Amino acid sequence: MKQIQKYFPLIPVFAAYLIMFFLGENMEGIWQLMSMLLFYCALGQAFNVFMGMTGYVDFGYVAFLGVGTYGMALSITRLVQYEFLGAWIIVIGFGLAMVMSTLLSMAVGAVALRLRGAYFAIATIGVNEGFRFLIEGARIWNGSEGMIFTADLNKVLGRDTAAALCTYWADIMVLVIAALAAFVTLVYMRSKIGYALTALREDEDAAKVMGINVTKFKIIAFITSACFAGLLGATAWALKTPYVFPPEVFEIHYTIEAIIIVMLGGAGTLLGPVVGGLVYGISKYYLSIFLPGFQLLIFAPIILVIIVLFPEGIVGMMKAKTKGTGVERFIV
Amino acid sequence: MALLQLENVSKRFGGLVAVNQVSLEIDPGEFVGIVGPNGSGKTTLFNVISGVFYPEEGTVMFEGRDITRLPPFKRAPLGIGRTFQIPRPFASATVRENIAVGAMFGTQGHRLSVDGSLEVADEIIKRVDLAAHRDKAAGTLTPVEKKLMEIARALAMKPKLLLMDEAMAGMHPNDIDQMVAFIKRVADEENIAIVAMVEHIMRAVVGLAEKVIVLHQGSKIVDAPTKEALENPRVVEVYLGHAPEDSAC
Repeated sequence: MKQIQKYFPLIPVFAAYLIMFFLGENMEGIWQLMSMLLFYCALGQAFNVFMGMTGYVDFGYVAFLGVGTYGMALSITRLVQYEFLGAWIIVIGFGLAMVMSTLLSMAVGAVALRLRGAYFAIATIGVNEGFRFLIEGARIWNGSEGMIFTADLNKVLGRDTAAALCTYWADIMVLVIAALAAFVTLVYMRSKIGYALTALREDEDAAKVMGINVTKFKIIAFITSACFAGLLGATAWALKTPYVFPPEVFEIHYTIEAIIIVMLGGAGTLLGPVVGGLVYGISKYYLSIFLPGFQLLIFAPIILVIIVLFPEGIVGMMKAKTKGTGVERFIV
Repeated sequence: MALLQLENVSKRFGGLVAVNQVSLEIDPGEFVGIVGPNGSGKTTLFNVISGVFYPEEGTVMFEGRDITRLPPFKRAPLGIGRTFQIPRPFASATVRENIAVGAMFGTQGHRLSVDGSLEVADEIIKRVDLAAHRDKAAGTLTPVEKKLMEIARALAMKPKLLLMDEAMAGMHPNDIDQMVAFIKRVADEENIAIVAMVEHIMRAVVGLAEKVIVLHQGSKIVDAPTKEALENPRVVEVYLGHAPEDSAC
């Protein structure tokens, strides 16, 4: 029973995802909103594994989504000629997305994770732009022309299935990735990895002297986070919209959005990315409808206010409020 | 065999020799005070022993093994624990979690699960009388409680050697007496060698240490049983300056 109780905090997280799913299923015309919200929640959940748990801010994070998108795109466009593979090229695409984002994270981590705090942030800030210019400049993977693979998908899956994949199943996969990232986050939190990451986030030197191999644990968190980003890119950016252009998938504002979502919800908490993703996604959606063009202008002060009032994020505040009550064990 | 053995260890920062050709031996279970005025190289010596800095010269041996260039995180599992002058709790984690981290990555770490470590933490919390603060975030404790927690965290590592950096500074004399009694008891029970660094409060040293090592400008000037060391004219000189000579009067 005690072992099961450890996983209670997943209940509100999964409940939120299920509610989003059922609302999207049953209410006319809001599937697009739900799919956007799911993407933001998944993005926050994936980013939180690294930023929330280690306290390091990776400004180049979107590059992992970018290479994940390319992983899927490459698998589909290059393997479509081998007909015996059939729909397996999508599975291979997921594998390739994970491998590519893992390799990139190892390369970036090997250099940047030696640095601390602001230096790490500055070192990573160029990764996405660098990668974009590499692809465009060296003309690898079709360079700046990008890849469009709608036709390839149609050929492999048939027109109807391909359309269903883009408009429906890709979103479900995003939901699964978000849930998986939440699960892994909690497993980490409850294991030595989580304790080590908390220790190094709070005081890296003290953690070292306490016997914690900080580099190892930082790399574990970094690779895990990058892996989820790769998967997310492969689904939300490759399968959902079957084309890829370098400027779109290496756009830094997705990193900024991920940072906002994690900070807003509560860095290092399990429920934080869900709350942050919902609050951010819903406000962005309605602001762009009612006050198009002004959303950023309005959003900036809102975020400032929230960060000043609840420095621990919304979930951090909820945790403090529910301390000692029965709800406590559900909010982590 | 000595537990810890330093041979001609020197550490420089640019032109400044922070630790100069220091040799010393600490036996298992021994209580040693390291004394010296501000800037005498005590903290640097601690950092060399715990692996924060590597010395330019000399060797550091622990249980007969050369650890001169072993990274700090590999020393803790061997049994070198440490507290800091200004407590460095993992502020957002609870007291219990802080102490569990000590158990998790200390000498018993490889065979302790997370739950096992938390149980170790609970035991220690009872012993150090922190039960009332068990589930508080460590950052919210008072400075004295933080020190206590840091000692508890280091003890949870089940170290063979515990380096205490000014553990008593800033504490009320009554608290110090209690703490001293407690540390002594645990150290005796578990055969932990303790090296306590002291700048000001001699009371704690006299109460505990079997041996005192006095540092002055990076060099070891005295290494003797406590009473003898504190009466040594060189020590008096370091702390109070030269005794006036008769002819000068």
